[in-house]
Amino acid sequence: MEKRTNSPYPRIDRLIMAGIGIVLVIGTVLFIWSDRAHDWRYYQMEFRQMVAEKFGDDKAVKLPSGVQQIWVADLSRADRCVTCHQATTYKGFESAEQPYRTHPPEPLKQHPIEEFGCTSCHGGQGWAIDTAAAHGEVAHWEEPLLSRSLGESYTLAGNKNALMQMNCNTCHRFDRQTPGAGAINLAKSLVNEKGCRACHVINGFGGSIGPDLTAVGEKPPEQYEMSRLSGQRSAFAWHVAHFKDPRALSEGTVMPNFNFSSEQAQSLAMLMLSWKRNDVPAKYVAGAPRTDPRSAEELQAEAAMKNGPGGWFVQTGCFVCHSISSLGVKSPAQIGPDLSTAVEDVQSRFGVTVDQFLANPTGTMSVVLTRQIVLTPEQKQIAIQKLRDAFAAYQKQRGAAQTTVSGQ
Amino acid sequence: MRLPTLVRTKPEAPGVHAEPFWSFRPQSDREAGDAIVSNFALHWFPAKISKASMAWSYSFWLGTISAALFFLLILSGLPLLFLYVPSVERAYQSVKDIEFVVTFGSWIRAVHRISAHLMVIAVALHLIRVFLTGAYKNGAGRGQRRQINWVIGVVMFLVTLFLSFTGYLLPWDQLAFWAVTVGTNIASSIPVIGPDVRELMIGGRAIEQATLIRFYVLHIIVLPGLLGGLFAYHMWRVRKDGGLARADAESVLESARPVAVVPTKTYTLLGVARGTAPAVTAKSIEAPETTVNAVPDLVRRAAIATLGTIAVVSIMSVFIASPLEEPANALVTPNPAKAPWYFLWLQEIVTDTTIRIGSFTLNGAFVGGVILPGLLVGLMTIWPWLDRSSSLAAGVWLPRSRRTQNIVFLLIIVFVLALTFVGMVLRGPYWNIYWPWEAWPEIPGRI
Repeated sequence: MEKRTNSPYPRIDRLIMAGIGIVLVIGTVLFIWSDRAHDWRYYQMEFRQMVAEKFGDDKAVKLPSGVQQIWVADLSRADRCVTCHQATTYKGFESAEQPYRTHPPEPLKQHPIEEFGCTSCHGGQGWAIDTAAAHGEVAHWEEPLLSRSLGESYTLAGNKNALMQMNCNTCHRFDRQTPGAGAINLAKSLVNEKGCRACHVINGFGGSIGPDLTAVGEKPPEQYEMSRLSGQRSAFAWHVAHFKDPRALSEGTVMPNFNFSSEQAQSLAMLMLSWKRNDVPAKYVAGAPRTDPRSAEELQAEAAMKNGPGGWFVQTGCFVCHSISSLGVKSPAQIGPDLSTAVEDVQSRFGVTVDQFLANPTGTMSVVLTRQIVLTPEQKQIAIQKLRDAFAAYQKQRGAAQTTVSGQ
Repeated sequence: MRLPTLVRTKPEAPGVHAEPFWSFRPQSDREAGDAIVSNFALHWFPAKISKASMAWSYSFWLGTISAALFFLLILSGLPLLFLYVPSVERAYQSVKDIEFVVTFGSWIRAVHRISAHLMVIAVALHLIRVFLTGAYKNGAGRGQRRQINWVIGVVMFLVTLFLSFTGYLLPWDQLAFWAVTVGTNIASSIPVIGPDVRELMIGGRAIEQATLIRFYVLHIIVLPGLLGGLFAYHMWRVRKDGGLARADAESVLESARPVAVVPTKTYTLLGVARGTAPAVTAKSIEAPETTVNAVPDLVRRAAIATLGTIAVVSIMSVFIASPLEEPANALVTPNPAKAPWYFLWLQEIVTDTTIRIGSFTLNGAFVGGVILPGLLVGLMTIWPWLDRSSSLAAGVWLPRSRRTQNIVFLLIIVFVLALTFVGMVLRGPYWNIYWPWEAWPEIPGRI
């Protein structure tokens, strides 16, 4: 029989091969282990024991095991939170530690978990099944769990849980007041009280001096000018700081400083971030107002201001800063002096007539009249005439008042 | 593998094998040869291989490692095909599911991603090795066409890059979207036809569903099919050229001694073709002391390279997670927006050749993104015909006769690596240089 050619390789190569075999086995064990090693296995075991202790073994064996999810097709949400938070709808663990605590039943009555899932209210990453990723405390996930601890990290002045109310406002956007959403309610009342709409479009209507805020919550954090912000760098922190002192963050802004308290500024920042162009399926907002509702009195007052003798000042935008009380126009911000007495006032302040001042404005008005409210020469003539009318009305009202006083 | 119960009979005629199985432990050279001829998986292997070609330190088995990575990519790509949805609405979500809830999903995705990156590296190293050893040169054998295989190899390298690039887009996250934006914008800088080239690549004027499905089909069918075909041809040519150039170099050395020409058989088809095949003229190729049987020695080493690669990738994939950033958003540009790492040297050249004089800007994308890489690839392709060194330099590491070209080649490699390093490590927001010890400005979050 033929012989085989001698080879020097088998001895060493077989050893190498054996070594690689061992490494392959180790690799296989490693990847199987890494796929199995998840915290939820521990949490499910623990909860099973808790149920067994409290309600007996027969209840415990009925608990589902493995990855659990709530799939809400209408909202495209697969929320796997219930994999660890197994007690969510399991009565009897109301005072247990998380993740074993029963969800308060009240909000779930209006918002059944099968229809809303978890993350549409709470935030976080529903797809994930590990704590850090699921709570959104990881890079590249922009919707963190709106938890108490996050509220504490912002040292919220009021309710530390309030951040979650941002998500309530996705559907409850057009509610005047939403039960349980104290911070958002506070912010909404401030928006009406301070007349933000004088400058900003909010929910589809308002002035054009400031930016449109209808979808301001969608503005990417990268697009904020953060260089003047100290401390936490986030869109939320930026809005809080901006509400407290607009000029400090945005140089040359004409937005007035309303001297908001921390709680007010934080509530307004939450409201701002809640304003997103969110397509909520119709059945989720059935019966809720679809636009910002205004009461009959409000509409009447607005119409009176627009169509009354001072209507021109409202349409032109002067009323944003100036009241013209003699013509029944009330400024929401009231930063500038009342224009009822402008004819007299301009003379004493600037030493020129109203005509001259409008032709060659100085100070703040020079900025406003060249950038925000640009008037043609014809419009300026109308303005002068309207200011004279206002002054005449003022003198008439004053005269009438004096007559009344002297007549007494 | 040999079934002991089977009666071993002598083959009645060449090419007829009485036994259905073959032996990985051949007792004789004939049995070793039989194991090659009767095994479908090994039919493209030679029956014998020179010890010089077997050496770890000659080829570093980079071609085998590249092939093993390609094999791993196909293997790991298959389950991903069942899970991934190539639609802009669902792609990102399907990748999240692969990461979080599919059994072994994140490991499979990591295997696929790491293999892809390693394959770019392995193929590039293989190309560098072939250049430095002058292995594209014809040696002692007649009828060798190694320069053709070099050209095929360059094309395979480009296909590998394009395969990786098309896969980059599929997760449809910010990383994917902007890397492809940067990559395709470079193409649009070609004068006159640039915008059309980009439109052809992305199937429109914006990176959208049309781009995703285009890249997807290229990634899963067209390019792997092309690479598979080229691979088969590449291997076939290696055999036709008489194996590795190293074997030629060895036979030339041997033939310096007065050894009689081995009156060996011809490898041509049934002896019909005229002349002799390359291997026949190499004097020592059949000599017992310089060769070993492919079964089991070559097969064992190929298995070591392949299984070793699989083992390394498998373990790396447990520890290196695959990135998945925010969903793709055409309105938010990450800062900095970087091309895939193997194109970063081009992005770097684009930056450095963009010249601003006053308000006039000379865009570097054409120079850095088209002219320079085009020139390098073109030169690389025709190099075997420009290289006039002796055939004695084929299959020899850094021979004296090819010193200048090897030095220039290495300098270009170092240049490319240096630019890649700058682009990968040093470039930060606004494409400014940040040293590793300097912190980047903090990126703000929403809440």
